Amino acid sequence: MSVDANVETTSALPSEGGLAASVGRAVFEAIDSASQIYGVLVRTLYYVARARIDRDAVIRQMYEIGNRSVFLLSVVIGFIGMIFVLQAGLQMQRVIPDLTMLGASFLELLVRDLAPSIVALMLATRVGAGIAAEIGSMVVTEQVDALRMCGADPVDYLVKPRFLASLIMTTMLTLWSGAVSVGSGMVTAEVIFQVSPRTFWNLHLVHASDLATGLTKCIAYGAAIPIVSSHCGLSTFGGSEGVGSATTRAVVQSSLAVIVLNFIISSAAFIAFK
Amino acid sequence: MSKMFSPIIAAREGLFSLAGTLGKMGIIAHQIGRRLFRLDFDHEEFWRNMYKMGVKSLPIVALTALFTGATMVVQAAPIVQRYGAQQLLGWGAGFGILREVGPVLTALMISGRVGANNTAELGTMTVTEQIDALRALAIDPIAFLIVPRFVAIVLTLFLSTLYADAVALIGAAYAGQALVGVDPSTFYNGLTSGYMGIADVTNGLIKSIIFGIAMGLASCHFGLAVSGGAPGVGRAVNATVVASAAGIFVVDYFVSFILG
Amino acid sequence: MISFRNVCKSFGPKRVLTDVSFDIADGEVFFIIGASGVGKSVLIKQLVGLLRPDAGDILLDGDEVSRFDEEAMYAVRKKCAMVFQHSTLFDSLTCLENVALPLRKHRGLGPREALVAARERLSQVHMQEFGDRYPAELGDGMKKRVAIARALTLDPRYVLFDEPTTSLDLVSARRVDKLIRELADRLGVTCIVVSHDLNSIFGIATRIAMLYKGQVRLLGTPADFRGTTDEIIQQFIQGRAQGPMET
Repeated sequence: MSVDANVETTSALPSEGGLAASVGRAVFEAIDSASQIYGVLVRTLYYVARARIDRDAVIRQMYEIGNRSVFLLSVVIGFIGMIFVLQAGLQMQRVIPDLTMLGASFLELLVRDLAPSIVALMLATRVGAGIAAEIGSMVVTEQVDALRMCGADPVDYLVKPRFLASLIMTTMLTLWSGAVSVGSGMVTAEVIFQVSPRTFWNLHLVHASDLATGLTKCIAYGAAIPIVSSHCGLSTFGGSEGVGSATTRAVVQSSLAVIVLNFIISSAAFIAFK
Repeated sequence: MSKMFSPIIAAREGLFSLAGTLGKMGIIAHQIGRRLFRLDFDHEEFWRNMYKMGVKSLPIVALTALFTGATMVVQAAPIVQRYGAQQLLGWGAGFGILREVGPVLTALMISGRVGANNTAELGTMTVTEQIDALRALAIDPIAFLIVPRFVAIVLTLFLSTLYADAVALIGAAYAGQALVGVDPSTFYNGLTSGYMGIADVTNGLIKSIIFGIAMGLASCHFGLAVSGGAPGVGRAVNATVVASAAGIFVVDYFVSFILG
Repeated sequence: MISFRNVCKSFGPKRVLTDVSFDIADGEVFFIIGASGVGKSVLIKQLVGLLRPDAGDILLDGDEVSRFDEEAMYAVRKKCAMVFQHSTLFDSLTCLENVALPLRKHRGLGPREALVAARERLSQVHMQEFGDRYPAELGDGMKKRVAIARALTLDPRYVLFDEPTTSLDLVSARRVDKLIRELADRLGVTCIVVSHDLNSIFGIATRIAMLYKGQVRLLGTPADFRGTTDEIIQQFIQGRAQGPMET
């Protein structure tokens, strides 16, 4: 296995051309960066399995990723609960005037999709930007080169703790966010549609398959966000403006990764549990 | 001052800084509004940004919309099969896409791609004194830089939402065919049946304009307020994406509630 | 005619300028010198309203510009241009577009006419062949020349130079010096130069003001500075490490 940190972008394709050329270039660049991201993932997993794990570094990253996102997530997911119940309730009233299943459908969708996906989208924004900015400034100030000179692979030293911390904290934050949005949804249902919390708390539609889907999503997102953003950070070039563009690239690419993974896992689950 | 972490002090400070930020955003909004009213802004800079923000975001918006539309169908599929309600799939997915998922996800992606980028650019210009250089050339930075970017952000988000709605519906229609076996024509019939009205479309578009205003103000404010060199630019970018994301969902609730 | 009258400026608890007063006559090459962080740049930025004095007055042709608001300041800035320390070209614009921008904004020229006029301006500083390059592609000396061309587009009567030769190689630095002297001699433009480059100071200055501890330590011609017995000034102009000067 290659362990040298060869993650610089290597596309040397011409920058001029027509529409077809630009589409082709975009495809090549996408394949190029996808294979590089895959490389970072493989190397991270290699170090997770083979090298000693620095507990302190993982805990520090858990604090960075977890504790510092709790407030944002609570606000966002609280409003999501309210929005969902409001919109779904209004629509259900139009079609079937009976709202007893409002809570059950909300809980089903929450476990299967809403909680993990919204949490991941928020983490892609907040954590993805943070990771890319941090690693990116280390690259442009040559700290990453200094690491390599000390014989430490940046993937082992920088990416692995973030990867492990993100896996744990994404799951934790999803559980917490689920609880918050159930609370806010319950209150909204009670206040606006007079659905009592007892009717709302209906777990009939939540199956083991939904739980499994939700958990799979947590793990997949938790792994994808740090890997994609670390790759963006490590491939930074060109001073402080480079850090800025690496940060925005991290936000966009990790959000996109979440959206694509959501589709893949949701359809796989749908086909598997039909 | 005590170094102990106290949630009350933290909450108070958080509230103060939130109020301060909102106040400064209000001032920028006022400055932008005055110049917009007089049509006093740089057209060349506007078109340059429209291209950079709008046109260049199309691929990412399309990709997001395609997958989101398809995911909506996957989520609705068990309900469709449970009740055999094939003709309702178009309605369910269409309603969700047009009112909520389309505007919100497009806004999140545009916030990452455009809002954050804009903050980074303005922030770099601030720390390298380029804003002062404009003032020294007797050029109003608000009219020259901020108003064109603000208008471009609002327009970009509005047009992207329109485009994303269409792409997401197409994605949903074909995902419905592939996964649930609902013919696209049945899907489109469900979409245009009596349950959906023009309000579902306009509702989402009104949201996108309000999201755009909030995002544009946040992005410009944090860009201009940068201090402390390159790390300051990084912090500002982070602040913009976080503020935009939280702002989008908070605004979304209130707009949904008011528009009913 | 520019007058600083008892100008004071603090940043938080740090008092940068405590009481600064002097006059600058038309057509001079006037140097403001002093150690780093003594407030030289702060002083000239107050003249064009990029910073505001806490107390005291700044007069430009009899107008109390320190009392002007931002809108009124625009008229001042048109006749009083500034060349920033790091040149500060707009990095999203080419050199030509950088120079064309003030023409387009203030002379009412269309985009094309402005570019033609800007090319003319660039050729005056021998930069015409680099007009289509972006600032990031140029060296410091070249950027400085473009920045000077940009500052001169509106034919200002006063030009402020903030450390124009710092970070330039010696040859580029002397070229900038020559350009400043020519501006004053040929066009009668008053040049105010913030600097601690001794070669420039004794090469082209008409008069010099040295700032020390928030006040003017000495105001005079280069000969006055060479002849003074003030130990602090002697230490500064001889560039000695040992001496009474406090940092």
